[in-house]
Amino acid sequence: MNDKLTSKQLSKKITDEYMEDAFHAHDNGKLIGYTTAISPVEIFVAHDIVPIYPENHAVANLTAKKGVELCSVVEGMGYTNHLCAYARSDLGYRKTGVTVTRGIPDADLFLACNAQCFTLTKWFQVLARQGGQPVFVFDTPEHVMNKKAREEIVKYCVLQLKELIAFLEEKTKKKFDYDRLKEVMKYSAASSILYKEFLDMAQYKPSPISIFDALIGMAIAVYRRGTPECVDYYQTLVNEIQAKVDQGIGVLPKDQEKYRLYWENLPVWFKFSDHAKMLGSYGGVILTSLYVHAWSFDFDLNKDPLVTLAENYVNRFSNSTIEDRADMATDLFKKYSMNGMIMFMNRSCKAVSFAVPTLKDILTKRTGIPALVFESDMGDQRFYAESQVRTRIEAYFETLDRLGTAAA
Amino acid sequence: MWESLNLKDVVALARDPYPSIRQWARDTGKKVVGSTIADVPEEVIYAFDLLPVTILGTHKPLKKAPSHLPDNACSLARSNLELALSYEGDLFSGFVLPQVCDTTQHLSDIWRINFPDKYVESYLAPRQADRPSARYWVKEEIERLIASLGEWTGKTLTNEALTASILIHNENKRLLAELYEIKKKNPGTITNKQFFAMMKLSLQVDKAEFNKSLKSIKDGLKLKKGKGYTDVILVGITCDPPEIFDIFDELKLNIVGDTLVDGTRYLRGAPSLNGDLIDAMADRHFHRGFFSPIHDDVFKNFEEVKKLYKETKAKAIIYVHIEFCESQEYDLPDLKNLIKKEGIPMHVLDTEYQTTSLSHVLTRAQAFFESLKGGSL
Ligand code: SF4
Ligand code: SF4
Repeated sequence: MNDKLTSKQLSKKITDEYMEDAFHAHDNGKLIGYTTAISPVEIFVAHDIVPIYPENHAVANLTAKKGVELCSVVEGMGYTNHLCAYARSDLGYRKTGVTVTRGIPDADLFLACNAQCFTLTKWFQVLARQGGQPVFVFDTPEHVMNKKAREEIVKYCVLQLKELIAFLEEKTKKKFDYDRLKEVMKYSAASSILYKEFLDMAQYKPSPISIFDALIGMAIAVYRRGTPECVDYYQTLVNEIQAKVDQGIGVLPKDQEKYRLYWENLPVWFKFSDHAKMLGSYGGVILTSLYVHAWSFDFDLNKDPLVTLAENYVNRFSNSTIEDRADMATDLFKKYSMNGMIMFMNRSCKAVSFAVPTLKDILTKRTGIPALVFESDMGDQRFYAESQVRTRIEAYFETLDRLGTAAA
Repeated sequence: MWESLNLKDVVALARDPYPSIRQWARDTGKKVVGSTIADVPEEVIYAFDLLPVTILGTHKPLKKAPSHLPDNACSLARSNLELALSYEGDLFSGFVLPQVCDTTQHLSDIWRINFPDKYVESYLAPRQADRPSARYWVKEEIERLIASLGEWTGKTLTNEALTASILIHNENKRLLAELYEIKKKNPGTITNKQFFAMMKLSLQVDKAEFNKSLKSIKDGLKLKKGKGYTDVILVGITCDPPEIFDIFDELKLNIVGDTLVDGTRYLRGAPSLNGDLIDAMADRHFHRGFFSPIHDDVFKNFEEVKKLYKETKAKAIIYVHIEFCESQEYDLPDLKNLIKKEGIPMHVLDTEYQTTSLSHVLTRAQAFFESLKGGSL
């Protein structure tokens, strides 16, 4: 269908159309639902609710270094400076209208899934108090390591998905179409498989993609899953990367790719390209993180759609125990032959970061690979100490060199 | 051990109950199970002949916790972990830990990994409370806890044991509520510090024993109205260090209502004994007061505070903010604005576990209440 477009062009086209649809949602009789990046958005898509992700909008502003400006405004309103920078910058945007994009339309309703964090629930509650819209919390208890408990958790989540459907039916005065949901699930399942295939191409040597490609490539999976264009996009992307693999093209040339690195946590958005360059100069490529894998779902189309949705949303890395996260990361270390790890303690994201010291201990013990731990913030430049990070990275590569763990 | 305490003993013990708990465990041969706040059904733990102890931080210095939890984690979570890692860990045979906010999202994992030889179970309270599924889930979690404790102890929970436990807990709440009423009406009789020490100790020691002390304390009270008190409401999760209550006492503030998890919210959690006990315990989850991580009604906090203020005819609200508690911090600016719009005076008190100097708290509170008296608010 889009044979002639590159993945980059396709991504732009999909995004433009999506935003156009969002800004005209009400003209077309649709509602806008704000939701969390990890949430059963398939239900929204099947019910013609346009999903909007304030997190994505926040990323755009933070990457463009608007963090300090927006966060300061919010701190002046009485919010503390250690809350998530996504939330702070978003509340700053509400107050000032400052954004590097065309902004996002206001919500008609909110769906907060706490599989990633509790912050989003609180953040959506702040927005709901401003606008008076309803908030639906999809509560995903931690995916504890107990089979029976897991079965019960899934049951609880299925009950909630039914409540969500009833809630949406009430708000839209429209009956929910389960056949449509099945259709949407097919697209979600197909794009998830392709997305994972794309991420897994990091196992080639040299790796044709770095985490920075993965971070750019994940956007469509976040906001367009459940649509045919999403499947299209990942097929195109996979084909492109496969072509690189076939030609032996890597992020770094094969003889320069010394360190294949794991990254823990979200990226430091405003240092995105700097980090890629800096690491590249030492022969380092960050290949992956659990974060980018959060959208590689494993939907089982033979199951009741609500069950497979529940199972997939509760078992995301951010909702898994530290032991399970360590297993997931260890699998990636093996699969991608990684020989270094950068553990980012992100002040913004307590939900992910408070597990990092423990996770680091387990991973270094298991793999024998030393870790670089650094503390900063994904979006608030005031917490980023440039020279310190540089020195730490330099020292880390010296250690790796000394240990002689460079990739063969 | 705890059946014939007077108010002075209670205040002293509440500051550091652990040596007495250690001694008690030795004397009785019973096991101690620690929990953090909130909502772990302690009646169930008690019914297994275990001692449930709510861990409410330590005042001793942080040594080990910072390497597991960074400094932007709330001081309560760090302090609790420190207590277990450095000071009182040997005392506990196990822990039942609730998951509430982002800070506690992986806390039970951290505890489990750090205490491989102890029993560590999670209690996954729902973080929504307005839909039928929440009720289903609370019941499910209570039943899972019973099964898990049963497996660990090798015992089967009987209805009699659970009834007896609930009776003791309800009696504790009833006695505390009666003492609270006396204190509210006669602030000269029991100080804030004394009352909240009784509350705290109730969450930490054997209630069957402690109820006897509470009863004799109550019976022995000589009612004193006292003069010059200002009635206030305390809003928050928990209030520490206990010396803050000295400040309230010094300023002659009379706490006539609160929303603390280890205050009125605890007192409101008495399950009914008519009918199925698990159902009753599930029900009470929804009758308790506001607790940010649990409630999905965005105005509930404000509505509750306003109602309490009106009912008690208090003069002001004191909001106890725990530094780095994001659960509170997303609510606080709006709460402040809404309360201000209602014309209710409110003072925010920033607290931190391990705080040693409270002079700034006193100075700020003094200034607030002086201006309140001057009518300038
Ligand atoms: S960065 Fe972390 S705290 Fe912020 S919204 Fe994302 S998951 Fe939640
Ligand atoms: S709710 Fe607040 S005080 Fe309680 S653990 Fe979470 S951050 Fe700490």
